[in-house]
Amino acid sequence: MTDDGLDPLIHVPTRLKIVATLAALPDGDGLSFTRLQDMLELTPGNLIIALRKLEEAGYLSSEKTRNGSAQKTTVTLTRQGRAALGSYTRALRSLLGGL
Amino acid sequence: MRGDPVNDPAAAGNGAAFGPEQAAALLEQTTRQARRKFQPAPPWLLSTRAVLVLAALGGVWLSVRGQHPYRGPTAADIPVLIGFVVVNFAATVGIRVRATAGITGRTRFTQAEILVLVLAFAAAIVAMAGLGAAGVGFATYPTSVLVIPGLAWAVLAAARPGRRGLATGVALVVIGIAGAFAGPAGAWAVAAAGLCAVLLGSAAAVARQQRT
Repeated sequence: MTDDGLDPLIHVPTRLKIVATLAALPDGDGLSFTRLQDMLELTPGNLIIALRKLEEAGYLSSEKTRNGSAQKTTVTLTRQGRAALGSYTRALRSLLGGL
Repeated sequence: MRGDPVNDPAAAGNGAAFGPEQAAALLEQTTRQARRKFQPAPPWLLSTRAVLVLAALGGVWLSVRGQHPYRGPTAADIPVLIGFVVVNFAATVGIRVRATAGITGRTRFTQAEILVLVLAFAAAIVAMAGLGAAGVGFATYPTSVLVIPGLAWAVLAAARPGRRGLATGVALVVIGIAGAFAGPAGAWAVAAAGLCAVLLGSAAAVARQQRT
């Protein structure tokens, strides 16, 4: 945790946007790498680095599927990731006086 | 804006401050945008459909309400109705496909669910043909076509997470049954007002959900 009690894995703009975007989907639903990249307007390299950190923390899972010659990566927010975003949101509200 | 961690996320990674205020603003903005982009039936589409259904079916009601005896929609009404159905279907499917692109899981309809919906519409067409063969045509009771698809939609929605759409399916069944008691001309008014109310209610529910 940071000094103000915010989860440092989430408290980075790129990773916060990834987690918030995936959390907008119903529990258990995944999103393709390309759609996520398109929505967040990130370079593939930056997105891969951020996703790897979140996956190492257990906040999201990724699945690679192959359709012919094309490979598709789908990322899903795990229950742990959803819970971490919930705790992060509560910590933010607490810091900002319930705003 | 360079240096603003909210509008320029790279700034925070380069040492700029990313405080709780910026984080809260970014979280709210991202969540709102994602919900809007993932929404297969956005409020503006539902509201537009509400206005169009009121105009299309209300127009038919205006043309048939003075008929004694009742003869059904005029030849001029039929192309308008068919056009409405085609445009409505194409817009709904097109926007749904775009909103759910890249998503896997329960947001998308499964093949079994699509089959149930197709069979429900096919059953409605068969029922209409049956009514016609029995001398009670679709033009007589236009809302009867809503009952079977409405039931199918309600059953599918009840089995999905959050039961979203259940109220819509039940409302379609209620409109279908209520129209049967409103008489031939009145059924068009029931269909117009009922479907318009259902669509506006859905638009309000989706808009409320996107705000929370």
